Amino acid sequence: MLLNFERLGWLKYVLLGITLLTALFLLLPIIFIAALSFGSSQWLIFPPPGWTLKWYSDLFADPRWLSSAWTSFRIAAIVTVLSVLLGLVTSFGLVRGRFLFRKTLRALFLTPMILPVVVLAVALYAFFLKIGLNGTMTGFVISHLVLALPFSILSISNALERFDKSIEDAAVLCGASPLEAKIRVTLPAISHGIFSAAIFSFLTSWDEVVVAIFMSSPTLRTLPVKVWATLRQDLTPVVAAASTLLILLTVILMALFALVRKGLKS
Amino acid sequence: MPSVVALPEVATVKRREFRSTLPALLFLALFFVVPVISLLLRSVLEPQLGLQNYVELLGSSTYLKVFFNTFMVSAVVTIVSLTIGFPVAWTLAIMPSRWAAIVFAILLLSMWTNLLARTYAWMVLLQRTGLINKMLMGLGVIDKPLALVNNLTGVTIGMTYIMLPFIILPLYGTIRKIDPAILQAAALCGANRWQALTRVLLPLTVPGMAAGALMVFVMSLGYFVTPALLGGTSNMMLAELIAQFVQSLVNWGMGGAAALVLLVVTLTLYAVQLRFVGDESEGGR
Amino acid sequence: MTTPFLKIEGIRKEYGPVVAVQDVNLEVERGEFLTFLGPSGSGKSTTLYILAGFDNPTRGDIKLNGKSLLATPSQKRNIGMVFQRYTLFPHLSVGDNIAFPLKVRRLPKHQIDAKVKDMLRLVRLEGFEDRKPAQMSGGQQQRVALARALAYDPPVLLMDEPLSALDKKLREEIQHEIRRIHQQTEVTILYVTHDQEEALRLSDRIAVFSKGVIDQIGTGPELYANPATRFVAQFIGDSDFLPCQMLNTANSRATVSVGGSVFSDVPLHEAGKPEGAALMLRPERLSLTREPLQQSLAATVSDITFLGNNVHVATSTKSGDPLSVRLPFGHPAISGLSRGDSVWIGFDAASAHVFN
Repeated sequence: MLLNFERLGWLKYVLLGITLLTALFLLLPIIFIAALSFGSSQWLIFPPPGWTLKWYSDLFADPRWLSSAWTSFRIAAIVTVLSVLLGLVTSFGLVRGRFLFRKTLRALFLTPMILPVVVLAVALYAFFLKIGLNGTMTGFVISHLVLALPFSILSISNALERFDKSIEDAAVLCGASPLEAKIRVTLPAISHGIFSAAIFSFLTSWDEVVVAIFMSSPTLRTLPVKVWATLRQDLTPVVAAASTLLILLTVILMALFALVRKGLKS
Repeated sequence: MPSVVALPEVATVKRREFRSTLPALLFLALFFVVPVISLLLRSVLEPQLGLQNYVELLGSSTYLKVFFNTFMVSAVVTIVSLTIGFPVAWTLAIMPSRWAAIVFAILLLSMWTNLLARTYAWMVLLQRTGLINKMLMGLGVIDKPLALVNNLTGVTIGMTYIMLPFIILPLYGTIRKIDPAILQAAALCGANRWQALTRVLLPLTVPGMAAGALMVFVMSLGYFVTPALLGGTSNMMLAELIAQFVQSLVNWGMGGAAALVLLVVTLTLYAVQLRFVGDESEGGR
Repeated sequence: MTTPFLKIEGIRKEYGPVVAVQDVNLEVERGEFLTFLGPSGSGKSTTLYILAGFDNPTRGDIKLNGKSLLATPSQKRNIGMVFQRYTLFPHLSVGDNIAFPLKVRRLPKHQIDAKVKDMLRLVRLEGFEDRKPAQMSGGQQQRVALARALAYDPPVLLMDEPLSALDKKLREEIQHEIRRIHQQTEVTILYVTHDQEEALRLSDRIAVFSKGVIDQIGTGPELYANPATRFVAQFIGDSDFLPCQMLNTANSRATVSVGGSVFSDVPLHEAGKPEGAALMLRPERLSLTREPLQQSLAATVSDITFLGNNVHVATSTKSGDPLSVRLPFGHPAISGLSRGDSVWIGFDAASAHVFN
């Protein structure tokens, strides 16, 4: 009876209570930040004595915030494209290939996901110092691609594994060349996997802070590095405004993701 | 003559598919394997060949305290997340799906929200004049503000907040897979609620709990951002120590040695997970 | 001598140490409906996949109108195929699925539209043009797959157990459709199945596959009345085998002794198997009496099963071998028959077969 919600009796209310409190615990800090970003108190007093858009106008008035956001966006966009393309090619090999060490290779491709990021950050920092990529756009893209690629390979190869290869064979028998069959039949059929790969890759790069702290230079810093540097000095409400915009972006991407999932089901 | 054996399906042997994994393989070899290995090598090569870095790292009380902090915080975060996570996952698995969808949305929102934004929220909430202290004082629980930030308490609260979804989701998957008829059978066998919980439900979720707990523990060990922002300078964790060796002290030997310790512990725990509870973590996604 | 329409010459396929197809030889006439019948792993699907060009044979050749197909890649073979699993393109509508082979052939639009209409009419799915595959039943999806495979007028249509995912009633309905479409289009069909009833219902000829070779090719009645091997005898229709002693043989006829009785002039087949000779009997060709007759086998009734229009009597011979008799419902010999009764079973020597 423990797995029948209606027949739990008093236990039902205990469990619901814990769940409700946990949900609030997870949700409140996010709402709190959004509220503070409109509060007039410099010292982040809650509830705020008044409401203002000052922190947003400060944020948009400061060219360093804007340029770091633009840098982040450019890096994330390039990483997304490369990660999806490389993920696609690699997934075809991993899923369709029948070679020795296929599983080992798959595990290797996913290792950057489980490695502590700080180790990778320090290792790449040392490596890039030697080959002169530190503080460059290329350096950022390469290091974020290392982190994003596993997510891309995982989403695309999962989608490809669930796709029946007979469908591609059918397209070939219908007269399409193997490449044409892949482009016109297989890619549209696994598009949800490609789309997830793109979203995961973008977010991985856009939100990444540890590697970015090591990669950045005074002239090239991403938005998370700017937030980090600001936070190390003080807790200005301008960060609340920036965070709120980041939360908004998350909500939009989540909604987009949910829409794609839904579109896939219907 | 070769034997005639039934083939399950027409097997198309295509070794050339291997080639399409080469670009990614080359990329990771150059920008992942080589940098990590050369970092680790520096721990035995700098300043001169030998194990002196490890002797220093494991022999000094300053560094041992960092290891101790790291393990303690990770352990506490894991235990607290598991204690809260189990009832939540259990409820999610059986509650009406419309409500569950709302809780799921909150879980995902919190997971996907920028890490710095979340950590910033806790820096503000936990500070001396922050909402938590104000509320506790308002309720008369305390009369002086507690030091909740710039110490391990702050780190533990902030990390638990981050890790909770990582334990709830796999546990949810495990509980979902249990057939409710098993508990009906337990009831028919005469088990009361407490016996059904401790002798049937909990044992069946042990693999999921082990998988989730190991994952949270390992992730906590290597965490950098949250400890750096919510913790104090006197209570460092391992990831911060590695960064400090490299950034402020420019001591690559020690940095490499600390990285190797973290890497060995991480990979060992993952190997344990793959060996014993591998399938469970997959099911929980 | 005329060249056969489709000729499979000595096809052999090895996967490493595993031999999937040993040696398959076959000639198919234009417009014929030929079925590959056999258990899974007998090489019938592999042969079909080699025809489709998904696999190359280790040895042998395939000729269409006298020209080898092996050097032609799948997409240029112009062969149609319906697969075991549903293989409609999930992101395309029914109409676009059928139009796909025509679009890759860059046909003009009006021609494509007309052909799609024709095909939908052929498989009786007019009005389903804009549906997505996920919105259709399995049977409908396979009919669309059939329309797609026929849209480009292939000379040969391959079907790889296309109905195995459907339930029995739906399967019979679509078997009927396939037959009608075959008659209407006169396309040559090679059909793979492991279901003998399906094979008998659909085909002009059946090739029985066993362990990578074709044991026998022929029409359904030929295979039933004159099985070449024990395997074919077991696979087509029901049969029991009794160990027997060969007394003498002449002109593919044998005289054998079973359970003390001697039967002469029984058709003999050399299967080349090392096991001893066996007499094959079909339950529906046997007679059953309560009194001993000349030239009959003594047996004891072990079970009686009512099967609607006929009754199945399971018996066991003196030597302990099982032997089944099927009699029409209401046959005088079974009234009052019960388990443990002694009966005598007789048969016409010409309907039996001896396998050596």
